[in-house]
Amino acid sequence: MDKAIMINIEKCLACKSCEIACAVAHSKSGVLEEAVEELPRPQRMVTVEAAGEFGVPLQCRHCEAAPCIEICPTGAIQRFDEQAPVVVDADLCIGCKLCMLICPFGVLQIGPEGRAIIKCDMCLERMGKGQEPACVEACPTGALKLISLKEATKSKRREASKQLVKEVEQKKSKSEEK
Amino acid sequence: MRKIVIIGGSAAGMMAAIAAAEQDPDAEVTVVTRDRLPYRRPAIPALIAGYITGPAGAKIFSPETLGRYNIELICPAEVTNIEPKSKVISILSNGKEEKLAYDAAVIATGGHPLIPEIPGADKKGVCTFTTYEAAAEIVETAKTASCAVVVGAGFIALEIAEALMYKGLDVYFNVRSRILRKLVEPEVSEFLIHKFEQQGLRMLTGEAISEVGGKSSVEYVVHKGNKIATNLVVMGTGVKPNVALAEKCSIELGPSGAVKLDNRMQTSVVGIYAVGDCAESPDLGTGRFVYSPVGSIGASAGKIAGRNTAGANQETAGFLRAQADQILGMQIFSIGHSTTSAKEVSLKVNVHDLSPPESTGKERITKPFEVAKLLTDDNDKIVGAQLVAKKYGAQFAWQLYGAVLARENREEFLERFNSPRMKVAEALVHAIKSTVVVESVGEDKALALADTASQENTN
Repeated sequence: MDKAIMINIEKCLACKSCEIACAVAHSKSGVLEEAVEELPRPQRMVTVEAAGEFGVPLQCRHCEAAPCIEICPTGAIQRFDEQAPVVVDADLCIGCKLCMLICPFGVLQIGPEGRAIIKCDMCLERMGKGQEPACVEACPTGALKLISLKEATKSKRREASKQLVKEVEQKKSKSEEK
Repeated sequence: MRKIVIIGGSAAGMMAAIAAAEQDPDAEVTVVTRDRLPYRRPAIPALIAGYITGPAGAKIFSPETLGRYNIELICPAEVTNIEPKSKVISILSNGKEEKLAYDAAVIATGGHPLIPEIPGADKKGVCTFTTYEAAAEIVETAKTASCAVVVGAGFIALEIAEALMYKGLDVYFNVRSRILRKLVEPEVSEFLIHKFEQQGLRMLTGEAISEVGGKSSVEYVVHKGNKIATNLVVMGTGVKPNVALAEKCSIELGPSGAVKLDNRMQTSVVGIYAVGDCAESPDLGTGRFVYSPVGSIGASAGKIAGRNTAGANQETAGFLRAQADQILGMQIFSIGHSTTSAKEVSLKVNVHDLSPPESTGKERITKPFEVAKLLTDDNDKIVGAQLVAKKYGAQFAWQLYGAVLARENREEFLERFNSPRMKVAEALVHAIKSTVVVESVGEDKALALADTASQENTN
């Protein structure tokens, strides 16, 4: 999958806008004012976790070799093709919770509805309409970004190259000072 | 065209049907089930809490999904007999008798609730939950009751207790020995009892309730001589295999009383397979057949049986039992053997305390998990693991699962578990050793370099 939600923890304010936007996007009404009244409560699939001095807005990483797909005994967790996110077919989920056990990021949760597992679906519906995932759109600082992995590695390479040049120049000027 | 009949429509049976249809798309696959609708057992707590209503809310394996695989569903219907010689199954559907010819059949008749012999346990208000109808009775009774007694020791019993607490009921939890006896060590049970009590669950431990009293419906229960007023008693005391049909057609049973199988999930009668709560299953590692009524094992066994009914020849070495749940704010993971389950397969185990990995100092989370145990066999290979955490338990659980699955050596595992840095350092040393650096600076300096590098890497 080429698309991924990149997290830049240095930019995260832990404002939890992403959590609210996610729950609203996955509510029945899709509107905040109505979503707060809905039962069962709309669930968020992204959580801002405290880690030391940082907040980490974490959602499913949609792993390439996803352990949850491997371990699911009924095939309820699947991806439709290589470019698709990992999704849960609630109708096949027997609620055995093995995926919760195996996920290294702990991003699968017990949903309130029949206790089928719920997880980030990378806002399939929104993406289909050409919109960004709700958490990305809601992030005020750009800590969450929808990126293309190819582009991201390219810009990372550029950054690294710049850094290298900088260091070389610093060393040069230091040795010149001496 | 191959005719495959599956008897029973829960997780194991349905997975057998789907696997058979996938293996041989031309096969005629039929599921005969007694339940009005296939029903998701873990949905009970959600039904009680009111998150979902009616059988539609708890449904699983919907007609649409089955239609995708061309699976025919006959429901509600009772299978009255199987004749292995003529290969005919008799069913009773809407009062009419029908006959189905089959080439291969899967018995997935599940289990009956195991109700302890307590005087008055047949009164109205004493509920079980193996069928949707039974679970619906809990939901109805809970609407008017103010107090409930849940009897049991397992995950579902605890989940039901939690859901009843959520509904505002006073909930007593009665367990004869200790909670999760088959899944965790005594110390872990103690810890959880303590935590659950803090959350408001009233524990009745030490012995089972001795009487269920009342006129026609439940009015009180007696525990250790004390009367506790209640209108609802939930029996979560386990299941016993439903083998009535298997016995009728002289299928052999194992020592546990469940259907005896080979490693292809076939019974003693050729062409008839059995999976789920009515059958035994092989334990991974020892290969011994045990009675392990767990949904995920049933589904995995169902897949193998299903494929074999449709012409495949698949064997299993065994299944690894792994369970996870979240109850009253505690994440509980149990993987592989506990001392109780190890005894069943005559496996000698040693129990080790697992202390949380060292915190890196800056982190605020002082306690990554509450309590954890590692179980090893005599060769110090890991055969079981248990972990309780408030949050983020999964980050340890997946490592424990891998260790149990691979029967990893304990010391090797701990080295990796206690310091994720070690792996990085090792890799660096390896890389450094193979270059001229070691020759020029010496091994000690190279190791020191690697250590600094790995620390920078993790920071």
